[in-house]
Formats: sequence, structure tokens, C-alpha cells
Amino acid sequence: RPPLVVGSGGGDLPVPSDRAGRVSLSLTVNGRLHRLDVEPAETLLRVLRERLHLLGTKEGCVEGECGACTVLIDGRPIDSCLVAALAVEGAAVTTIEGVGNGGLSAIQEAMARTGGVQCGFCTPGFVMTLTALLADVSQPTEEEVRLALAGNICRCTGYSQIVDAALAATAITP
Amino acid sequence: MTVVGISAQRSDAVVKVRGEAIYGVDVALPGALHARLLRSPVAAGQIVGLDLSGARETTGVRAVISAEDAPAHRHGLVINDQPLFASERVLFEGEPIAAVAAETEAAARQAVAEIGLEIEEEAAVVDLESAVTAEARLVHPDWGSFVAVGEDFPRGGNVAGEVLAEPPGVDEAFAAADLVVEDVYRAGRQYQAYLEPKAVVAQYESGRYTVHVSHQYPFNVRDRLAQALGVRSSAIRVVGHHIGGGFGAKLDLGIEPYAALLARATGRPVKMVLDRAEDLLTCPCRENALVRLRSAVSRDGSIVAREIDVLMDAGAYAGDAPLLTSLPLLLAGAVYQVGPTRVRARAVYTNTTPTGAFRGVSGTYLVFALERHIDHIANALGRDRREYRLRILMEDGDRLLNGQELPDASILREAFGRIEEVAPWNALGDAPLRGVGVAAAVWLTNPMAGSAILKLHEDGTLGVVTGATDNGSGAVTMGITQIAAEELGLRPEDVVVSMPDTDVVPYDSGSQGSRTTQIVGRAVREAAVEVRNRLLSAASGLLEADAKDLELVGGKVGVKGVPESQIALAEVATAATFSEGPIVGFGSHVTSTPAHDPSCASGLLFPAFPTPTYHVHLAEVEVDPVTGNVTVLRYVVAQEVGKAINPDGVLGQIQGGVTQGLGYALYEGLHIGDDGKYRQRTLEAYRLPIAPDIPRVEAILLEHPNPEGPYGARGVAEPPVVPVAAAIANAVSDAIGAPIDAIPITPADVLSAIHAKRP
Repeated sequence: RPPLVVGSGGGDLPVPSDRAGRVSLSLTVNGRLHRLDVEPAETLLRVLRERLHLLGTKEGCVEGECGACTVLIDGRPIDSCLVAALAVEGAAVTTIEGVGNGGLSAIQEAMARTGGVQCGFCTPGFVMTLTALLADVSQPTEEEVRLALAGNICRCTGYSQIVDAALAATAITP
Repeated sequence: MTVVGISAQRSDAVVKVRGEAIYGVDVALPGALHARLLRSPVAAGQIVGLDLSGARETTGVRAVISAEDAPAHRHGLVINDQPLFASERVLFEGEPIAAVAAETEAAARQAVAEIGLEIEEEAAVVDLESAVTAEARLVHPDWGSFVAVGEDFPRGGNVAGEVLAEPPGVDEAFAAADLVVEDVYRAGRQYQAYLEPKAVVAQYESGRYTVHVSHQYPFNVRDRLAQALGVRSSAIRVVGHHIGGGFGAKLDLGIEPYAALLARATGRPVKMVLDRAEDLLTCPCRENALVRLRSAVSRDGSIVAREIDVLMDAGAYAGDAPLLTSLPLLLAGAVYQVGPTRVRARAVYTNTTPTGAFRGVSGTYLVFALERHIDHIANALGRDRREYRLRILMEDGDRLLNGQELPDASILREAFGRIEEVAPWNALGDAPLRGVGVAAAVWLTNPMAGSAILKLHEDGTLGVVTGATDNGSGAVTMGITQIAAEELGLRPEDVVVSMPDTDVVPYDSGSQGSRTTQIVGRAVREAAVEVRNRLLSAASGLLEADAKDLELVGGKVGVKGVPESQIALAEVATAATFSEGPIVGFGSHVTSTPAHDPSCASGLLFPAFPTPTYHVHLAEVEVDPVTGNVTVLRYVVAQEVGKAINPDGVLGQIQGGVTQGLGYALYEGLHIGDDGKYRQRTLEAYRLPIAPDIPRVEAILLEHPNPEGPYGARGVAEPPVVPVAAAIANAVSDAIGAPIDAIPITPADVLSAIHAKRP
């Protein structure tokens, strides 16, 4: 007799935990302080997209693999899908909406100009990673750029024109 | 030309680098509910219990539906074989069984978990060769009752579609041959892995559905959703948003029917977004396949006859697989001169996720097999692999196996020559554990219908109203934009192309097969003739000059040779709008099917290669004998593009296509267990290429204008993925001195091939 499979068809898909009481959180995003009530396990990505409506940070996998949700936490690039919002209380969070000062930053300008953008879904994450890299290393080599980008997946471009953008941006921002 | 041929910035570049672009996953409507599906946890079985009461009682749930709430008929792209919900049997892991709409996503997930489901699991049909034997269990015992969408075609049992070609002289040539070379090649499944998961928002109002998508082919969503729901297509309005990648996986109907049914059941907008794991497990991936190839060769190296037998995994429902069975016949006698060729290609039903379109459909593994086989023949003859290819290469006027003439096939020889100039064959792969491989392909430009309306706005800018979609390739945001600007002497930034809305825009066949720039570009040129004529006629009245003495330059109409006699387009457009009416033009285009011999085979649903393009790829690799890792040292492409409307855009398509091919060749494989389930279930396990893996591709653009294409353009974006696995496998085999006949080529495969050849 064949085995009987019983239960939910959720398969390997995660099932939500019980909703516990919300907790309050003070979060600084793009220089602005927000006071929010969140669930204890709520990710920073959820808070950014669903509570603050900052839709530029993209959800690609929620596994920390694709890098589309990359934001800066105190200047370091982090996958916001893996970080509990509560864990970044007091830190400075920068999202794509906080880059470029109302115009375009050097890396945004270069990404647009060199063809580093195709479908664009990964683009905010790449901009954030490269923003952090260029803040740390003023004149990175091509190899350093590629290594820095190892946590961001782009399925369209094959990376060359994104790397070109990073190298071009360093040429105009010493 | 001032705009066509320059690397203009894509029109959506700024909104994308600023994170402002709204994709399908970002669309929100007031009061929208969140939907989730209950999917089968097993690949094959009988549903013996389905209890929805727990889900219905879950807090926040507004609707729970299953097969009894959906139309009973089956739907499909080519054959109507698929129900919306499994009811008695499940045929693949992930098949929808029920759907829930709730106030929050968490509530929807909770409700799905509350559904009571009992399945008696059955052995899954997985292995392609066993599936086509007489003893095999049938995935669809009722296959005979399925109705084809168009004319029926050869199929039966677990064979979802079959192409057969039996030309005379094959057996005689094999009997007389000096050498017979025989190979078996295997290719794994490849996941499109677009970064934006599938998403939809549906609304129902007074008998009409509005469906928000990020889809490559909105009109197909309209028509297929109408078919699945059993309503007329005008009852569906599809609105397109930015597409976060598709690569073929967003061409057919997906999750749209479930959101539409739930919207109707609840009277509320319904949003559904797939989890990454769910997306991966249920995506219509590139099919896994088995290719058997035999060639009869004479002493001088001529291939005097050939046999090819291909089994392609359709998965549990046919999808587009019956169309893809045409590819082996179209490719087995392309590039090289071969004698009469027996072709058998079968799409096979299995208890696995239905496969579908992925950039370079079927061509990636067929060219891999065909080009590995050429290396094998050359090695068996003791000939240099490149020199042997040049010896048997097609010439102008040679014909494909369908009888279609390729009047410009000698472009292949030019491409080999151009690569030799930058990457001399004898200087490459010339060190231990280094190897070089070359591969060539002929590919098509999708011919399907497209159209555009041009409107000259009253401020002198140009609107392009079209159903064409930009899947990221730039075909709309560079190609169409630049062509439209060129036609009317405008800057690209003065052209605004609409987003798709099937209630508004004229028909388009979607971003597939590199068709958009050629087909819609051509439609834009036709529409521009009408706009130009009306514009010049209106201006001639205002300038008091004969229309034939007028020219369009820099957003103005001027009298030729009289620089002071000019008038702004805005002024002409405004005057026209408020007198005889707005200046509007319409154009449409479809490529006719090339002449061919319809009697060459049975079951050939896709009978010819419209607007052929020519491709030669060369790879140099190095193998690490300890880890088995393959490093790509150089990658060179020579590609016929007709005319590069935007050279940087073309380079981006080549670099990106080659990268997907490198993933296919070296990293990406969905392995299917005996239970019919994928072994790789996350992006951590499914290894995609990352920046440090990928070399900078050296691209050589060949430009032989296509008389039918706008400014000579041909399809560009799809084919760079096609020859990659072939070039890489040939290079790795050369490096290790042992044949690699399966892809992906994992480090373990490389090591076992190295160990197998040791005495």
C-alpha cells in the first residue's frame, strides 16, 4: 500500500509563527526617525516596504542569496531580509531612496550611463553595495569590485557593465 | 542617422537606479486581499481527502476555493490538458489544489496550513526513456480526450507531441559509410531565476477582470486567462508594469487565474506573490533532455547521413513542449552540411513541474549535442576541430532540413574568420589543463505580429502606444524609442512609450525570440510615415511652403535650405489637433514564414526559421585538477545583428546571454529525484553565476542589414545563450582530454572524467 501523506500542502514552505504582541521601535531611515509598532520577528525589509512604503528595496528571495534587498546599516551593506528590525534600533539605515540627494549619485549616474541596468530589479541592491564599497575604497580594482558584488545576483547583465559603472564612478569621485 | 546606432541611455534607466520603478510585486490596490495556494506536497498521488473547513474558519480569511469553485474544463497553450486545480489526482509537486484569500499574508499562510489534505502517494513517472516504453504508467490515462487548441498533432500516451522525419537514403548512407560516430548527450533543467518572483493583482467589476502583471506577453495573459476562465477575451483587461526579468518564464499563463477567481469570489482586489522557493519549484523551466546522435561520415570528412533522436521533458502538462519538438529538425542540419537526416523528437509527460520557454528554447542543449558531436567526429578523423568545421560549413544558398534556403549562410565563415583575428585558434588552450572550444549556431527572430500607434503630442513630443513590453532587454526603452525618435528627428528623451494595457494598446506578441526591435520597430516606421505626411501637410499650410520642400530636424519643421523658415513641432501639432484632428499614425508588422517543404516531417508545428541570425562562440578554459573547478579565461562571440540600433544595448544582451549560458554549462542544474521532486529548492542550492565567476565577453558585431528589419535590424537578444554550453563543453573536454557529454558540468563531473581516463 502506498504511503499516505497527511497534512498541509505547504510542503517545505514556511508557516508563520503565532502573532505575538507588537513592540515599539525607533528606527532611523535615510536620516529620519520613525516610531513604529512592529512584531518581534519582523524583518527590516518588511518594515521598510510595508510600514514605511519604501518600495525601492526589493524582495527577491528572503534567503539572503540574491542581494536585491541590500541596504546600508551604519554604512555596511546588509541583506535587509535577514535582519530583524528590532536589531537595528539606534543604527542609521540607508535605502536606495536615501541615495543621490534628490538627483543621482556618481554610481547611479554611471549605472544608468554604462548599461549597468536592464530589468532593474536588482539595481537598487547593486547601488547600495557599490555605494558602501566606494565609501571604503576610493579606487577599487576590477577584481575588488567583482568580489564586493559577490552577494548581489544580476540575472540580466552578466555583470560587466555594472563593473564598468563602478570603475567609471570612481573616476569621477576620487 | 543621428539617433539609430548610438548608445543612448535607456529611457527607464533613471527610475530604475533611483528605485522608483514599480514592478508587479509593488502594485497595491486599496483594500486588496492576500492570496496563497495550497500546493501538492508530492509529485504523484490520489487525493483521498480535502477538508477546507479549517481554512474557512481561520481569522481574516475571506475565501477558500478549490476545483469545485473553478471552471471544470482543461486549458493549455497548445493542447487543453491542464485543470486549474487538481481534484482527483496530483501530477507534480507544487500543483495547485486550493486557494485562499485573506486580510493579511500571514492569515493566508495560516489558512493554507489549516487545510486538511490526504494524498495516497504513487510512484512518479520521471525517467524519460522509461516513460516512453509500452509498460510505462501513463501520467494522463485520459490523454485521448484532450482537445488541441489548433489542429491536432501526433501524440499519444506519455508522448505529448512528436516530430518525425524519414527522408530517403539514410540507411543506405550509413551502410556505405567509412565511419559511424554515435553519441548520447544529457542536459539538466535550468531555472530562469528572474529576480522578481511571479506576482499578480486581480480585480473583478461587473463581469470584467482587471489583472495587473509584470508579464512579457500581456495579450497572451488576456487570451489564456479568458480560455481558462471560460469568458470572452474582452472580459479581461491586462495592465503591465515593469518586469523584473522573465527570460521566457513570464510568457504563458501562470498564477493569474487564482487571483482572478478569488477577486470574483470576494469582490475585493486580490494580490498574490510567490515565495522564491515556490517560484523555483513551479516555474516552467528549460526542459531536461536526452539527445542521441549518429552520423555517417565518409573518408574525406563529409557527413553523408545523420540520425537524431530527442526526448524532451514536458513535465506534467504539455505547455509549449509540442512546439519545441520542431527545434531538432530545424537545428540538426544547420551550420554544417549534413546528408539526409532521420529525426525523431518527442515531448514526454512526466510527474514533474511542467517545463516551458527559456531564452534559446531547446537550442542550448541541441547545439551542445550537435557541436560536441562535431568535435567527436573531427577527433575520430584525426582532423583539427576548427579546420574540420570550416571544411563542412554551410555556404550561401544551402538549405536546412525543412528545405528552407539560407541565402546568407556564409556569414558563418566570416564569423569564424573574425574570431580568428582576435583569438588565434592555435595560440589558445595550449598549456596543461587548458582547453579551447568553438561552437556555431543558426537562430531565428520570432516573427509574430506587432503594432504601434504614434501620437504627436501637442508639446511636440511623440507618444508610442504599443503592447510591446521591455523585459529588461532595452528593446522598447532603447530600440523602439530610438527608432521612433529617428523617424521624426527627435531626441530619445522626447519619445514616451506606453506601458501595456490591453484595453488601450494595439496587439503585440510579447517580448520573446528577440522580436520586439525588429517587428515593433518596423511597425513604428510604418506608423511614422503617416505621422510625417500629416505633420508636413499641416506645416506646409503654416509655413506656406510645399510639403515636399519641408524637412524634420531637431524637433522643428523647416523649409529645406531656408534656415529662418522653421516652426516647432509643438506649434504644428497643436494647430492640427484643434483643426483637422490630432496627428496619429498606425503601423503593424509580421514576418512571413520562410518558404520550406511542409512534407519534410510530421508534427512540425513550428516549421521554419524566420529571419535567421548567425553565431560563432569561442571559449578558452582552465581546469583545476584538484577541485574540478573550471575557470573561463576568454570568451569571444561573433554575432550577426543586422544593425546595432544601440551598440551598448547589444553588448549587454551578449554579455548577459553568455552569462546565462555559462551558468547552464557549469553551475545550474535542477536535479530531479526518483520521487519527482527537485533536489535544489533554494537559491542557495541552485547556484547562479555571480560577478567573480564571469569573464568580460569579447563581442564582435557583424552587420549585414536585414532588408525587412527597421534600419536593417535582426533579432539580437535571445541567441547569445544558445552556443555557450557547446563551446564550454568542447573546451573542457579539450582541457582534460576526455569527453564531457552532460551538462551542467559540475566539478565532480570534471574530476570523474579525469579519473575515468586514467589507466
